[in-house]
Amino acid sequence: MPEIETKGKKIRVNEEGFLVNPEEWDEEIADLLAKEEEGIDALTEDHWAVINYIRSYYLEKNLAPMVRKICKTTGFQLKYIFELFPSGPAKGACKLAGLPKPDGCV
Amino acid sequence: MNNKEAVKDPFEEKISNLKSEDLRKALQIFKEKINYDYAAFLNTCVHCGLCAESCHYHLTYKDLKSLPAYKLNLVIKVFKKNFSQTGKRISRWVGAEELNHHVVKEWIDSLFGRCTLCGRCALNCTMGINIPYIIRTGRSALAAIDLVPPGLQSTVDTALRSGNNMGIPKEDWLETIEWLEEELQQDVSDSKARLPLDEKGAGMLYTINPREAMFFPLSISAAGKIFYAAGESWTFSSDYYDVTNYGLYSGDDEAAGIMSEHLIMSMKKLRCHTLVLAECGHGFNSNRWEAPEWLSRKYGFEVKSILQIVADYIRVGRIDLDPSRNKKIVTLHDPCNLVRLGGIVEEQRYILKHATANFVEMTPNREKNYCCGGGGGQLAMTLFTERRLKVGKIKADQIRSTGAKVVATPCHNCIDQLMELNKHYKLGVEIKTVCEIAADALVINKKKTNTFHSLLSS
Repeated sequence: MPEIETKGKKIRVNEEGFLVNPEEWDEEIADLLAKEEEGIDALTEDHWAVINYIRSYYLEKNLAPMVRKICKTTGFQLKYIFELFPSGPAKGACKLAGLPKPDGCV
Repeated sequence: MNNKEAVKDPFEEKISNLKSEDLRKALQIFKEKINYDYAAFLNTCVHCGLCAESCHYHLTYKDLKSLPAYKLNLVIKVFKKNFSQTGKRISRWVGAEELNHHVVKEWIDSLFGRCTLCGRCALNCTMGINIPYIIRTGRSALAAIDLVPPGLQSTVDTALRSGNNMGIPKEDWLETIEWLEEELQQDVSDSKARLPLDEKGAGMLYTINPREAMFFPLSISAAGKIFYAAGESWTFSSDYYDVTNYGLYSGDDEAAGIMSEHLIMSMKKLRCHTLVLAECGHGFNSNRWEAPEWLSRKYGFEVKSILQIVADYIRVGRIDLDPSRNKKIVTLHDPCNLVRLGGIVEEQRYILKHATANFVEMTPNREKNYCCGGGGGQLAMTLFTERRLKVGKIKADQIRSTGAKVVATPCHNCIDQLMELNKHYKLGVEIKTVCEIAADALVINKKKTNTFHSLLSS
């Protein structure tokens, strides 16, 4: 299984770059995944608003939030979410927030 | 990223821990699937090799393991060992082999990992062998002993547990509809515009792929807007609304039957006359063609693709489209399950020709089209991600050579794979559903809308 390395620590990810153990996530991992997976050099405050919300929702409910909830909580329009994370809410935002790969056609 | 095998993979472990009773169970399921037609297929392959050039795996890897006839033979050799006299007596001479650990590994790697069940090989088979059907029976045997690769199995499990394949809680589904209804009202400047929910006696029940509600709701808005413009009598269901059925891919007929039954329950509850399937290739194939087989009974209602509905609206003048609103060059990707295996071929073209100013076909197209590489459950099985992206190059090249800026495809599974190909092969295209493109061209005629609406609600 592939690994990514941050601060000398090796983290296991699946073949699509989603963390195998979501509890290993930290902000450096989000930065690294942003560069490697999304081509984002530096995460902005808006990126973090989305990532932090998804992360806290997941820790509470063990589920990714619906895009409706992401828009409502952050106050961002749907279109803007896609601008922030070009791969979309699942393969972009949820991956950076350290969630496992969602089930279904994603 | 490194590819170090530091920790033993739980799925690998499951394979090595297989007991002989597991193998017997798998064999039993395999045997149950064999009928006369099937046995004829298994004795028919003449090794002509025509299937080689039809398979996107073989065209990419050009190796023996990717050859459809080779994949077929993996199943044939187990059949021979159990059903033919020569296979039983002189196994090695006739290439017969029992379903053992080694064969199970090969089955997983090939039947799950090197096939999207797209059916292009069957189309080109000189003997007319239904190769994907046979590959799927091998998957069924593996499903019986819990050896469906992770991701694909968890998607089936989630659908059985929660009623939809992403585990969307009911209150979140309802909240999303409410939100999209408000957006629709603003979009068409009509506070009475609705996304109806649990409306008993509505003509049509509209289903969705859960990923639409979860992450990509624009396609729901588009369908809702088209229904609104047509003054349609339709409804969503609050409980079972998922068009997908990953039992088709995992090979688990029992699970597949339960999922099809879910939609029948919604139809009964709401007393609708037509089950309308969202733009979802395998969902169409499953619910339109396979479900009555899984359930061993016929439907008591009509089942249609949303594309058939929208094409009819255009044909009879029930909606108006202005193609000049979609000026960019648009091409179309034909989802295997909807087109080659499902028979919906011209409707999407008819819609796009009326909704866009510059429509171009990719080559080849229609039933000869190549799979995007994401079908057959590949998108869910991360184990085979590298192969999925590699075989997708054929599709990426097809798209690039059209010069299109927009790729339309009536399948959410294909959309996700195309989004990845877009990024991986730097295609620089937009990927949309057919309804999204039609909705962009929609000219709302309130008089028409109201006429049909009052006609259908009276």
